[in-house]
Amino acid sequence: MKDLFSKKGDHLAAYLFLAPFLIIYGMFMVYPIIKGMKISLSEWKFGLDPEFVGLKNYKTMLSDGYFWEALGNTLYFVLISTPVLIILGLIVALIVNSGLKGTVFLRAGFFLPFILSISVMASIWVFIFQPYTGLLNSILHNLGVEQEIFWLNEPNLAWMSILIATVWWTLGFNMVLFLAGLQEIPKEHYEAAKIDGAGPVRTFFSITLPSLKNVIVLIVVLQTINSFKLFGQPYLMTEGGPGTSTRPLVQYIYEKGFVEQDMGVASAMSYVLFAITIIVAIIQFKFFTGKQD
Amino acid sequence: MTARKKKKMNLSRKLLYIFSYLFIAAWLIPIVWMFITSITPRGEAVTIISELFTPPFTWANYEYVLENAMIGRWTFNSFFVASITTILTLILTSLAAFALSRLKFVGRNLIFWLIIAGLMVPIEAMIVPLFQIMIELNLVNTYSALILPNLAMPLGVFLLKQFYDGVPNELMEAAKMDGAGLLRIYWNIFLPLSRSSMAALGIFTFIMSWNDFLWPFLAVNSEAMFTLPVAIPTFQSSFSSELMIPMAVNTLASVPAIIVFILFQKHIIQGIAMTGIK
Repeated sequence: MKDLFSKKGDHLAAYLFLAPFLIIYGMFMVYPIIKGMKISLSEWKFGLDPEFVGLKNYKTMLSDGYFWEALGNTLYFVLISTPVLIILGLIVALIVNSGLKGTVFLRAGFFLPFILSISVMASIWVFIFQPYTGLLNSILHNLGVEQEIFWLNEPNLAWMSILIATVWWTLGFNMVLFLAGLQEIPKEHYEAAKIDGAGPVRTFFSITLPSLKNVIVLIVVLQTINSFKLFGQPYLMTEGGPGTSTRPLVQYIYEKGFVEQDMGVASAMSYVLFAITIIVAIIQFKFFTGKQD
Repeated sequence: MTARKKKKMNLSRKLLYIFSYLFIAAWLIPIVWMFITSITPRGEAVTIISELFTPPFTWANYEYVLENAMIGRWTFNSFFVASITTILTLILTSLAAFALSRLKFVGRNLIFWLIIAGLMVPIEAMIVPLFQIMIELNLVNTYSALILPNLAMPLGVFLLKQFYDGVPNELMEAAKMDGAGLLRIYWNIFLPLSRSSMAALGIFTFIMSWNDFLWPFLAVNSEAMFTLPVAIPTFQSSFSSELMIPMAVNTLASVPAIIVFILFQKHIIQGIAMTGIK
């Protein structure tokens, strides 16, 4: 094949095409990462000059029990939310894909919460979980549960409430990704299975699930990274409470950096979040792509 | 197929129907509840479900919200920021993707990998330095602060480059023979061909920006500059006992998004599926 674009002028053209993106990318992605590293090595209170202190902020961070709690909370959320969102996402996608009447309505209905703003979503669920006036306790009341349940005031229940709200809010997105994967599976595979006399369960495990391998990898990775970024749901629903029991790492970074204005330690914690996100993404990619062949 | 087997299939089909429709009914309850509560007169109790669907209903809560909250301004801010972010993202990422896919130049691989690495960087981990940069540029509390950091979207470059890689070379060669410049080739061939990918990326960007919370929460501090996600909790915090007003705010804030969703739902869902899979 003749190489059409090896002349000198094309180098220039390429850089001109790239320039707008690279300038923004440099200023708001690359530069902040470098700057963040510098801040994490400095003692810096608002209004004062930054002072280089080496790894002191990292030491402070490691000996701070609240940091470990916040990190643990984030990891806990990743562990409880990822399987639920994946399994339920697949179930809903299968329902929507099974050719029932009203598929369009079902698909739209399951997806609808995803377009609600996080604040609307959180506000609805906070009121649903209210002990005396909330919808959930009212339903439970009608079902014969006498006692008021304090959904947002007890650590385990608060986590469950955050999980329920998150699943309701984001499930539609995973459903859509699974749906795309399901529709890529050739119909002949199902016909062949039918001729072989395979029931729905066997068809699911020997055809559907293996065909969805790539989609599952994608969803696991996206979902995990997303769960590591948890901030809005606990911040809006429980303010990280009761106490600090549902405070995730991002919220602690925000509080350290913007409320206590200890930007050095906040940046050190950001680097931990940053490192964990990258390591987990790489491990998951390796694990899944390694298993493929 | 024996009659017996057919009967059994029909039964499982029926069960699937019942299960699916109960599931979706439960799924939509929070939204229905939000609306019903928003038209309940203030001061009424809304704790018991059986009383929930009984009139009298009223629009007074909406009047109150429209008079006492800058809901129009916040909705405009959200729409403006999300639209500009989407348009600029599409322009920047498609130009970059075209160069990375079709042009040969020194440092091509390096630049590509630098951009791909950005896929794994959460903005949540950069809030402190990003905010410092905004202070240095004197952009705190401006639309630019809300828009600029979200334009550096590596996912867009990655998705569009993958699409452009699949465009046959002959198309480009023919255009070159006709004497078309690179900008013409990008504009007249690649952009129209990638219309559906661009639509998908655009929808994705719009929803992400529309729902963004943490960064707008930090980047703007005056009520007039708030986007909906930031404004709603601030306004609602004074109505902890009366949920009619917060629910009226929630409904008002959701109506534009729900209308857009109903009009474009097929495209939105297909679009997102495409960005994920391609």
